[in-house]
Amino acid sequence: MAFTMLPLLRRIHAGDPVRLSDAVARHQSAFNSHPYFAGMAAGALARAELEGASPASIDRFRTALRGPLGTVGDRLIWASWRPACLLTAIAAYGIGLDPLWSALLFLITFNVGHIGVRIWGFRQGWREGLGVGKSLHEEWLVRVPRLLAPVILLLLGLDTVLLGRRVLDVVSWEGFFGGLAAVAVFVALVAFRWPRRTGRIAAALVVFIPLAWLGLALLNG
Amino acid sequence: MPLADIPLHTTNWIILVVLGGFLALDAVSWPQVMISRPLISGTLGGWLLGDASAGFLVGAILELMSLRHPPFGASRYPDTGPAGLVAGASYAAVGAASLGSLVAAILAGWAIGWIGAVSVQLRRRGNERLLADEAELAARPEFLEGRHRMAIRLDAVRGALLTAGFILPAILAGAWSVNQPSLAAGTALGAAMLVTALAAAAGAGGRTSSSGLRGWPLLVAGSVLGALIVGFVW
Repeated sequence: MAFTMLPLLRRIHAGDPVRLSDAVARHQSAFNSHPYFAGMAAGALARAELEGASPASIDRFRTALRGPLGTVGDRLIWASWRPACLLTAIAAYGIGLDPLWSALLFLITFNVGHIGVRIWGFRQGWREGLGVGKSLHEEWLVRVPRLLAPVILLLLGLDTVLLGRRVLDVVSWEGFFGGLAAVAVFVALVAFRWPRRTGRIAAALVVFIPLAWLGLALLNG
Repeated sequence: MPLADIPLHTTNWIILVVLGGFLALDAVSWPQVMISRPLISGTLGGWLLGDASAGFLVGAILELMSLRHPPFGASRYPDTGPAGLVAGASYAAVGAASLGSLVAAILAGWAIGWIGAVSVQLRRRGNERLLADEAELAARPEFLEGRHRMAIRLDAVRGALLTAGFILPAILAGAWSVNQPSLAAGTALGAAMLVTALAAAAGAGGRTSSSGLRGWPLLVAGSVLGALIVGFVW
């Protein structure tokens, strides 16, 4: 955090190296939150420095803010916005969009939201100072993940079938696609119900494919 | 597959290694615009070796497998930048026409991702050492900046080394796997296992975004929509 705030701290404590050194020391300890929301904390802490808040209140504020920033950011960005943008791009590829355009679609949509959140967060922090906590109660921070959750599930189902079809195209599959799709949907639902146990099955199945081939080759002499 | 047919030479090897360093940076250090996601790194790797679509396919599969590992709190998650790049490049390099090389690319990407995760942990311990002298760092802000920049450069070197170390073995494994499986039954079994793995990854990944169980009909509705598109549009 000290590294991020350094340009602002240099301006705030211009011509006073002792106060600058004290401010750097205050912000040097680890600040684990969400990277896109850390700017909100940086803005708020810089404001507090500018207004001469006491070191004790700054310290309390840092401790109180990092957890909620992490929680809001994880839910909004990592669990909602990023998967929604990624799955949209995969669906676009699945229905025939050029792969480079599909990749670009993800980068543009995701980063419009990402950069918007960073700018909003820093501005809110700078404007509200130590009172920035109330910004974390804004309705859209709860509403966006709630709106995106069903979209993500719909896209997950869609992408699994479209990507599965692409995989089968690699081997010019001539088997019964419907039967395999039904098994896949059943497995997806089981994994949805017990994600911790069955999530590992995905990687395990891929690992076992070469072993299954080896076994078949051995059985056939 | 004849090794002479593989489109990897010094120039694109260097580009891949430098890009691997930059993609590793993106995950945590800078700029976090998500070019480090396997969807993007895989596509870039495939594009550099002549087949963006092949890279996208590998990247998308790795993406679904990674959905269950979001970077929440102190959780460990695969380092997907160099991993996706190597996986996408290795599948594109061998012609992207065989299930064996597709499986080899996915396995390479998954393994490199977790090796990368270990290297991230080691790098973080190194950062702690770099920033251990708190009094000196506070007294000399330019020293603090220098140390941070050094940590960022080391992260790039880590990604470049991962890419440099694994790109050739991954391509050779892909080339060896082109003629796998040797039996038609193996092809059908392998394809079915891969599709089932995708479904398991998607189902488990869905719970990362949806805390409740009530969303399952949407998962089914999405699959039905997908089946309709495959059946009637394709």
